[in-house]
Amino acid sequence: MPASPLPPAVWVRLFGPLRQAAGWDERWVPTDGEPITPLVLWRQLGLAALAGSAEVGRPGAGDGLPGGVRVAINQQFASPQAPLAAGDELAFLPPITGG
Amino acid sequence: MNWPSCLPSPVADPCALPPGPLVCSTLETVPMAPHALVEAWQGDLWPNPAAAPAALALFVGRVRGTTAAGQPLEALELEHYPGMSERQLEQLARSSAERHGVDAVRVAHRVGRIFPGEAIVVVAVCADRRGPAQRCCQELLEALKHEAPFWKREWSGGMGTWVADNTPLESPKRMDRPS
Repeated sequence: MPASPLPPAVWVRLFGPLRQAAGWDERWVPTDGEPITPLVLWRQLGLAALAGSAEVGRPGAGDGLPGGVRVAINQQFASPQAPLAAGDELAFLPPITGG
Repeated sequence: MNWPSCLPSPVADPCALPPGPLVCSTLETVPMAPHALVEAWQGDLWPNPAAAPAALALFVGRVRGTTAAGQPLEALELEHYPGMSERQLEQLARSSAERHGVDAVRVAHRVGRIFPGEAIVVVAVCADRRGPAQRCCQELLEALKHEAPFWKREWSGGMGTWVADNTPLESPKRMDRPS
């Protein structure tokens, strides 16, 4: 991860089919110093519009993340509602297909 | 205690092995020889085979020759989340090992481009009895499929297609077979 810029920002990473659908893999996203969560950033970055396939994640029943999409903060699974701090590494993980 | 690496054990006397399950997990970027890998691992931990646990459960997953859509597969590409994937392998292996009370777990997972017939994952579990060895092996494999950040892309006819779901535990042909 490159050095955190000013103003405060979160390092956002995408993987697999989500990365391909979005057309980018990682970037700093300014938080404007406001409390922010992965779910808020998901909408702010326009990622919700990419949901719709099983690979990227089916749209959720509510206004949360699509089914199967998970969040990791600093490389640990986390809640989409977890608070983010400046300098955090946030990853959106499409449905996992390992093993 | 966390076994420091997958390097040969410096401990000649198995009685001096650290308490708790011995876990070794690695990501592999070149083709694996599963049986040689497991033999070497066991030999490192227990140079005297008579001192090794009596049960070994082994699972080797290989890349199929066809895609999910039934087309000939050229290669499978495995993307992962560097850093997190290594940590998850280790945590999942250790958690399963402790839950089932087994002696040692070895996990090796390929990343990158993998060709049909090549091993993609190896899970080996050593325990005193077959029950915990087999249960730990199966549970850990399922955990890897759902909790480790890996994504498969099938290449066929020069086109890449992301895999949407893990394959089911049972073969559909066998499930349809009348009992």
